[in-house]
Amino acid sequence: MSTTGIRPEDTMSDDPRRRAPLVTGSPTFSTVTEVICRVAEAPKTPLAWYVAMVVSGAFAGLFLVLTGHLLVTGVGVWGNNAPVYWAFDITNFVFWVGIGHAGTLISAVLFILRQKWRTSINRLAEAMTVFAVMVAGLFPAIHIGRVWVVYWLLPYPNQMGIWPNFRSPLLWDVVAVTGYATVSALFWYVGMIPDLATLRDRARHRIRRLVLGAAALGWRGSARQWQHYEKAYLLLAAVATPLVVSVHSVVSFDFAVSIIPGWHTTIFPVYFVAGAIFSGLAMVITLLIPARAFLGLEDLVTIRHFDNINKVILATSLMVGYAYGIEVFSAWYGGGHYEQFAFLNRAYGPYWWAFWTMVVCNVAVPQLFWLRVFRTQVWLMLPVVLLVNVGMWFERFVIIVTSLSRDYLPSAWRPFTPTWVDFGMLLGSFGVFFFLFLLFLRFLPIVAMAEMKTILPGSDGHGEVGQAKHE
Amino acid sequence: MPQSPDPKRHWRSLEELADTPHFRAFLEAEFPAADDPGGVSRRRWLQLMGASLALASVGGCYWEQRELLPAVDQPVDRLPGKPLHFATALDVAGAVQGLMVTSHDGRPIKIEGNGAHPLSLGATDAFAQASILSLYDPDRTRRVVRSADGRAPQSSTWDEFERFAREHFGALRDRGGEGLAVLAGASASPTLAAQRAGFLAAFPQARWYEYEPLSRDEEIAGARLVTGGALRTQLDLARARAVLTLDADLFAEHPAALRYARDFARSREVAGGRTSRLYAVEPTYTITGMAADHRLALRAAQVASFAQLLEWEVARLAGLAAADGADDSPAEDPEAPPAPPYDAAVAQLVRAAARDLWEHRGESVVAAGPRQPAAVHAAVHRLNAMLRNVGETVHYTEEPEGARPAHHEALAALVEALRGGTVETLLILGSNPLYNAPADLDFAAAFEQAKVRIHASLYRDETGRRCHWHLPEAHFLESWGDARSFDGTYSLVQPLIEPLFGGRTAIELLALLRGEAVPRPRELVRATFASIAGEVAPEELDLQALWRRTLHDGLLAGSAYPRQLPGLLAPHRPQPPPPTELDRGLPAGGEMELVFCRDRSVFDGRFANNGWLQETPDPLTKITWDNAALLSPATAAALGVEADTRVRLSYQGREVEMPVYILPGQAAGSVALPLGYGRTAAGTVGGDAEAGVPPVGANAYRLRTSEALAFGSGLTLVPTGTPYRLATTQDHHAIDTVGLRGRARRLGELIREAPLDEYLAHPDFARHVVHHPPLKSLWEEWSYEEGHRWGMSIDLSKCIGCNACVVACTAENNVPVVGRERVLMGREMHWIRVDRYFQGDPEEPAAACQPLTCHHCENAPCEQVCPVAATVHSREGLNDMVYNRCVGTRYCAINCPYKVRRFNYFHYFGDLDQPGNEVANMAFNPEVTVRGRGVMEKCTFCVQRIQNARIEARNRRRPLADGDIRTACQQACPAEAIEFGDLNDPASRVRTAHNDDRAYGMLAELNVKPRTAYLARIRNPNPELSDASDEHDRHPA
Repeated sequence: MSTTGIRPEDTMSDDPRRRAPLVTGSPTFSTVTEVICRVAEAPKTPLAWYVAMVVSGAFAGLFLVLTGHLLVTGVGVWGNNAPVYWAFDITNFVFWVGIGHAGTLISAVLFILRQKWRTSINRLAEAMTVFAVMVAGLFPAIHIGRVWVVYWLLPYPNQMGIWPNFRSPLLWDVVAVTGYATVSALFWYVGMIPDLATLRDRARHRIRRLVLGAAALGWRGSARQWQHYEKAYLLLAAVATPLVVSVHSVVSFDFAVSIIPGWHTTIFPVYFVAGAIFSGLAMVITLLIPARAFLGLEDLVTIRHFDNINKVILATSLMVGYAYGIEVFSAWYGGGHYEQFAFLNRAYGPYWWAFWTMVVCNVAVPQLFWLRVFRTQVWLMLPVVLLVNVGMWFERFVIIVTSLSRDYLPSAWRPFTPTWVDFGMLLGSFGVFFFLFLLFLRFLPIVAMAEMKTILPGSDGHGEVGQAKHE
Repeated sequence: MPQSPDPKRHWRSLEELADTPHFRAFLEAEFPAADDPGGVSRRRWLQLMGASLALASVGGCYWEQRELLPAVDQPVDRLPGKPLHFATALDVAGAVQGLMVTSHDGRPIKIEGNGAHPLSLGATDAFAQASILSLYDPDRTRRVVRSADGRAPQSSTWDEFERFAREHFGALRDRGGEGLAVLAGASASPTLAAQRAGFLAAFPQARWYEYEPLSRDEEIAGARLVTGGALRTQLDLARARAVLTLDADLFAEHPAALRYARDFARSREVAGGRTSRLYAVEPTYTITGMAADHRLALRAAQVASFAQLLEWEVARLAGLAAADGADDSPAEDPEAPPAPPYDAAVAQLVRAAARDLWEHRGESVVAAGPRQPAAVHAAVHRLNAMLRNVGETVHYTEEPEGARPAHHEALAALVEALRGGTVETLLILGSNPLYNAPADLDFAAAFEQAKVRIHASLYRDETGRRCHWHLPEAHFLESWGDARSFDGTYSLVQPLIEPLFGGRTAIELLALLRGEAVPRPRELVRATFASIAGEVAPEELDLQALWRRTLHDGLLAGSAYPRQLPGLLAPHRPQPPPPTELDRGLPAGGEMELVFCRDRSVFDGRFANNGWLQETPDPLTKITWDNAALLSPATAAALGVEADTRVRLSYQGREVEMPVYILPGQAAGSVALPLGYGRTAAGTVGGDAEAGVPPVGANAYRLRTSEALAFGSGLTLVPTGTPYRLATTQDHHAIDTVGLRGRARRLGELIREAPLDEYLAHPDFARHVVHHPPLKSLWEEWSYEEGHRWGMSIDLSKCIGCNACVVACTAENNVPVVGRERVLMGREMHWIRVDRYFQGDPEEPAAACQPLTCHHCENAPCEQVCPVAATVHSREGLNDMVYNRCVGTRYCAINCPYKVRRFNYFHYFGDLDQPGNEVANMAFNPEVTVRGRGVMEKCTFCVQRIQNARIEARNRRRPLADGDIRTACQQACPAEAIEFGDLNDPASRVRTAHNDDRAYGMLAELNVKPRTAYLARIRNPNPELSDASDEHDRHPA
């Protein structure tokens, strides 16, 4: 990277008289294209990518094998029992759906709010969203007893004249998650069209040109196309924005609408959305740190980006912490002894370790982000966001397993013990996710090139692109 | 003899049965394997051949085809698919239950109690319910097996055996039966007794030994001690107002347990204002102890001292009363010597109980259990006499077993004879002494002395595997026979199906060995019947009509033994025992007491291969698929034993290692060992060493000696520390403080109970336990005002927790058996469970039980969350499960506050497709769907029974009447705790129950509107003891 041009610390400027630059170095239109396309076009794939692929591929394979085992043998290969009918399966589902939240937040909400810093990271975050939702969607599909009739959950006209039960939160869930997956994928894809066209134009191999040409949908970059494109993008952003709130709210209804003490609370939608953004952003940072380093994106993804995201993580951590507190407070204040017990049991019952892991990781550790050094130093923020991911997995585990293992009748109480298949599929789901993400990194434009060019210094027509302004 | 109009009617169904495509496929599938034994193990091959032969002969001519009279509800014409009911009787080790068996197209599928039988009154116990599964057990012996010494057993045939028997027993007959010995279990069959007499007449030198590991010998001896005669005690608990049991499990182990449970439950009805009071003194918790108002845990050896003290107290009261000439108010005699300083709890209880019994003299009962020595039984007889109960609540009849020697003495005599070499031929009828003989007899070694050993049994068990001939015995549902129940009522046992595996009964076998060419069991039974009928009903001239009526009714009216009024022999001057003998602390020196118990799941081990019973949780410990040494918490703490570990038990040089279970209420220093586990030749369920199936549980018989058949002192218990998880269905690990507190907080709301005086002061107390704001529904509610409105009520005052309902439900609803590993995983499938909670001091707790089925909530939370509408409400308010719509999200089960839904985590019936297991398919109720993998299931309120009753009523052009529909659990319940019916019928019993003051809906505050009402349990503590009892009863902790 160039040592001249915008220095990294410039991006951190809070001088209100002028906007801080969003990139560093002296990027020009062509260097931006070059830096980004180079990753997808490199004739020689870096060894590190292969290593990462083998590792994540192995886990993805494990996931496939275990899913086969599950489908052939029955859901009993997991540790789920009576009364803990849901355990790792739904924990993983909610965890991955939550991860999938950051993408839409960054791409849609920040787009509508004209937060231009989103541009360098939105493609990556959207990819993460799409893959996370894909992984998430697997779990409810395979966790049911008779997978071969999973389509009965969909409201399709059929000769039996039977509709699904529209009162069931699970049905709402199906609608919300499929809707979210569709919109996220569309948003991701539509945003990628101009960049795919760039790749197509640069492609040397015929097949590559054909494939990219098909994917670019005949993009020529004409003004009319740009006009349509911008409109479509804005509309999709407008459609996606409410989904940021709705998806996890609906996921939380799975719990909130039930009558299980510890689940049946009105705070769940808000609390789940905050938690989802929290975990999603933590995952964005987790992915961004290595991607930026390995793919040479330091000029495009700056410390300011990390700083901004970490501030949101801190804010959502506080929300989540507040929700934890309010849950306990309303249990006490509400006076229902079943609910009071549910929370006491979370904190001091057999799963106390999971509860306190959750509290430490989600509430205590992120407080480090009050310190600027933690927000801006990659090696300091990495452990924090990793712990946030751990904590958020445990949050779902705590909610699901502690509540189910001890509900109303003490005679039916039973602890949950995961089997090796449970652990295998948890690890395997990460394998699937990273496998897909690595494919994305290698073959697709990982940063929105076209959009990027609009935020380069001088791209607004004042001054020359690529010229750092020192006024 | 006159013939019935269509003598072939019944058996035609069997031919139909044998002709079904299922059976054709079976036969076709089996023979190819038999053609080529290569690649098939010997055992497998024998099984296949045996099964094929057995099934090929189903339509055969073994059984003489005479009339079988259907019992109740006989339609004018038999309709295919329409179940028939036949009366018969089950004899388990001499204890008889009158049964009504449902037969579907010639296939018995469900056992119910015979309502006309005085000792079953329509109820059954869990064993009777489960015996249907034993009938179709693929592990039953399917062929005659012959093995010469030192050679592998070979498959043989009855023909071969008959040839052998003609020769061998012909020679024996010529010698007068010298060197012949017969070992048989206890039996209540007069025909078998007659056959035995005939057999001994044919072989005058032969010796007959009777052995049961669990016997009533001490009871018989006790009666003889006091009265000099062979007398049997019959209790009338319906009239008793104060009952004290001394180590007696009247509601589970007594031969008349069903009747006693019913009578006791009736006596607990608070409406009549004559609520009885029950005191239980026992070493280990029993279901009778669970039902008791006051329970005292004493070591088994101390019960005698307690009886002595009680006798002294009662005698004092009686003496004082006599001295005062006043009958009613016994006052303390200031001159009387003060009682020695006993343990406070013992002194209090004995005093209060004695007064109570005395106040209710003539209306009280003292009873001792078979574990207690004759002296305790003698004391009990004297007590009942002192309390003037004899002739009132305690009756005496003749004891038909009075003449035989004690069982263990008989076995010892046999061992003696075997050792002496005087027994050459040993015939064993159904017994399994190699498994259950006292360890000190070393039966196995003595047994080898007999040159020819013949064993007839349902299973090729431990004994059968070491006999030269093993003969398949017929199951009682395949047999002609008869039985006299505890009160003497005579019942006929009639076959409902041709012997599946060519089995023959002991009656036939004896006739055969005696030299009868073609034994005709029906004629043999008829002959006995004729002689008994001649005694009972001499005026009855039409014997054939009486025979038909007896077959139909299931009993011969008026055949109960006549009551007698014996005199007591010597006057007895009771002395108080030394206080040290009633010390309830741990015995010094660490020498524990061991107490052998009949197991509530496998009896003495004979039901070890019955999956339904193995999977039924013990009422107290909730253990399935295992037995454990039961210790009280304090004993365990003193010995350093932790829950979920194994211990090594040594007694008189013999050692057994087994898991330990810490049971609150076990007497300190006493270790209870349930018998009947550790079978090595039970079958693929209970353990089969040959087939590589490890035994279920540990064999406690290995510690049992002739001196300590019931209990003994000097047991040492060493913790090994080896972890071992018992497959319990409740309380899965030592509970933490938070959990304990949470449980304590809610128990009073879930199981509502009150002492009688509080109930009388506030009859509707149960409705004021939980207060909640007005309940509003999110949905528009369906009105159930029109038509039927099915509902259930469960009376917690009556429920004794005996598990009959659990097994009945399993049988009726094709509930799968999942096995130990899956119970450990928390996946048991029972549609009804009986929750058990302890309250109070862990050393002396009260226990409560609560049966739980689907409550069929009107606002069912499960229905609302099912995404595919697989669980929906019927217009009559049943919460229906649509199995073929269910996709298995399990959300319904999550949202069920009662956690009564069960999920098929696996395909639980997969093993029935295995070759040789097909026969087990016959045990299924054809009216209930067999659920596959991945679907949810739960109690349906026996919807198939509702539909059957509805169709029946419609065909008869009459409305459904209350009582037309009886759910399986309700039908089996000996205590009549469960009622089911139409809540819209103001006169129905279930409506009456729902209107009862005691009725409450558990968790009704969730606005689920349960259709099941519980009737709060009313305990009746003695006011003298109520300080302590109040705490126990009202504030569960």
